[in-house]
Amino acid sequence: MGSRQRLFWCSDPYDLPASDSRFVRATADNCAFHIRRCPEYAAIARRLGFSPDQLKTVEDLAKIPPIPTLFFKRHAVFSMPERWPVAMRVTSSGTSGKFSQVNFDWGCVLAEVPMILRLGWRHRLISPVPANCVVLGYKPDKHNRTGVTRTMFGLTFFSPPLRRTYALHYENGTYVPDLDRVIRDLEGYASSPFPTRIIGFPSYLWFGLKRMEELGVRLKLRPGSRILLAGGWKQHYAQEVEKPRLYALARTVLGVEEDHIHEFFGAVEHPIFFNACPRHRFHIPAYSRVVIRDVETLEPLPMGKVGLVNLISPLIKATPVTSVITDDLGYLEQGDACGCGIPSPTLTILGRVGLSDITTCAAGAAQLLGKGEGL
Amino acid sequence: MIFAHGTVLPDADLPALLDSLEDELNATRANLTLEAETVVSAIDALGRRLDSGALDHLIAQFATPNMLDSLAQIRPALCREALEDKLKTELGPEALSPRPRPFGRARYLPLGVLFHVTAGNVAGLPAFSAVEGLLTGNINLLKLPREDKGLTLAILSQLTDQEPRLAPFLYAFDVPSSDTATLKRLAALADGLVVWGGDEAVRACRGLAPPGCKLTEWAHRLSFAYVAGYEDRETELTALARHIVRTGGLLCSSCQVIYLDTEDWDRAQAFCRDFLPILEGAAREGRSPGQAAEATLYSYETLLEQAVDRRDFDDRFFPGRGCSITLRRDQELELSHLHGNVLVKCLPRRALLPVLRRQKGRLQTAGLLCARWDREALSAILARAGVTRITRAGHMSHTFPGEGHDGEYPLRRYVRVVDTED
Repeated sequence: MGSRQRLFWCSDPYDLPASDSRFVRATADNCAFHIRRCPEYAAIARRLGFSPDQLKTVEDLAKIPPIPTLFFKRHAVFSMPERWPVAMRVTSSGTSGKFSQVNFDWGCVLAEVPMILRLGWRHRLISPVPANCVVLGYKPDKHNRTGVTRTMFGLTFFSPPLRRTYALHYENGTYVPDLDRVIRDLEGYASSPFPTRIIGFPSYLWFGLKRMEELGVRLKLRPGSRILLAGGWKQHYAQEVEKPRLYALARTVLGVEEDHIHEFFGAVEHPIFFNACPRHRFHIPAYSRVVIRDVETLEPLPMGKVGLVNLISPLIKATPVTSVITDDLGYLEQGDACGCGIPSPTLTILGRVGLSDITTCAAGAAQLLGKGEGL
Repeated sequence: MIFAHGTVLPDADLPALLDSLEDELNATRANLTLEAETVVSAIDALGRRLDSGALDHLIAQFATPNMLDSLAQIRPALCREALEDKLKTELGPEALSPRPRPFGRARYLPLGVLFHVTAGNVAGLPAFSAVEGLLTGNINLLKLPREDKGLTLAILSQLTDQEPRLAPFLYAFDVPSSDTATLKRLAALADGLVVWGGDEAVRACRGLAPPGCKLTEWAHRLSFAYVAGYEDRETELTALARHIVRTGGLLCSSCQVIYLDTEDWDRAQAFCRDFLPILEGAAREGRSPGQAAEATLYSYETLLEQAVDRRDFDDRFFPGRGCSITLRRDQELELSHLHGNVLVKCLPRRALLPVLRRQKGRLQTAGLLCARWDREALSAILARAGVTRITRAGHMSHTFPGEGHDGEYPLRRYVRVVDTED
């Protein structure tokens, strides 16, 4: 068994100290693989004076060259040749018009299995009772390779799916929303003998619930019904004001209690299954390590300090995403401060720094009629 | 959403509107004349409403911090005086009135129908383009950029509420660029197609415009600074550094390359070493942690891109905090790494023209740093090489009242001369 599979198959999901040596070993092997196979990654390692033998302890993980997500948007870099049969080619949602492409190798998919099962079990997502599924997101289509579509589809399998309703359908080259149909189906599911699982973007859930409230719809979904919220990072900024309102509305309109609402996050460049604990905090699982970096120097910061979020995992071999630095600001806290019982540190994302990757002045623009600093 | 007849309509109305649009446009052209005075008064009144706070609810709905900045910058232009000046500068003192000629008279008339394909990188650009069309009396069809999110529709509604006579001259369509069938139908109705955007947008629009439709391309441009000396070294370099950081390289007028009037690599390296702390100083000025993080990420990205994309080149890279300078051996004018990461190259003045000519049609602003006695001679060389704006170091992205746009007066492109024999 390789070091990566050992990390993913043998680790308790939230016991970080016990997995430290496995993590360091797997990450060093992962970096060595990318340096051997990916000339771009090798050039970066050379420029920054990094070699995998510098990785001895978890503290050393900060030495791995962190690559900005922006780099993956501008460069398609791979450690396995294009002609190799990779398991999946996935893209980020590309809200700014540009997206990253990340290829997933078969070993990565194999390693994801125990991670998802262990965490799914730990967070009580797995159930043998069949469920009706409502996906408040994209219906999978051969034109859509976004990671979030794949994640939401995957989440429908935590219980045997009876049927799936999608909020967004692919028609004539574009996705069209149909919330009214979702509401009609939900009304039907409420009288079904099986529970319902709603999986989707938090913003879609919010709009859907508001719409149902306007229409005067009040449902009582079957006991055991759950709401699973996934999406890009941007859906998960610290929204202390919004979340309680969302939970209250879910209770009033659907009859789903707060402890049956689950939140996740991940990024295409770091597809680790982060689950919110009952206190709505994201504890770092054993398959990931997080470094917070100073906004001026990129030096690692201690616990509690706000900086750029750097995510590290040896999960993927097909693309050199071992250590990615996102454009999010966040901070870490000790796990025991949360009080939910999960010991690993928590990561709080505060917001995006707002990189606008406009590459040209597309618009010669608008010497807007007058004076001043022009456009 | 669609804007037509002075109101916002749902997308579902698009097919019916397209079917009747040609008849509508012909009826407007046959029966209505849009006087520049009507447009000037409407915009002037809108500007005053802006000051009175009557539009604050709209600002609250749409404005990002960047947009508030741009709004403050364009505010002086939303007044009678500025608009009349623009008309006068661009179309001549008599603007739209007939001029006597030996054979009778000549006058400017609107081209007719303008189809504007606008870009999304500057908020308010679609409305700006439409206003230029209105000032010249044209009917305007706007294809909105994806990023628009209702701002243009709100501005157009305000304009037509203010002056209902503008309504038959304004249409906006929120159709995606992929809907070529609709775009072709709109282009077929136009006498002129105005495209804002990069090479790709321009190429696509050339395919859309039927023969006989006049094309106006506001494509992207490249600008640079030329350093041949100083009047006041410290002040000028600081102003240049501020310009580089504040515009982030994103504007057509933003400095991408700093050219040095020398062939001496050692002198060029010395320039980079001296300029780096000045650039770092500009990058540090009044920024939030978010902006600091952004600048740090971009300069780190530049370092990685230098390592990956320029492996086989003999560049010198000078990393700074939240900025960087890359000294390159070649002389080509090219896009920099942007966001405070600028290129430096050696280009002695005798090589200026042949090198810059290779970017013909793409040149815009040259920020000229030189001794006072040298300015005229260097300005002449730069102008001959194809540059359309020559400014002081820190003013590269300033807009000057009455200046042209990429070497032209836009209003002139939107009118035609009609000669009538008595």
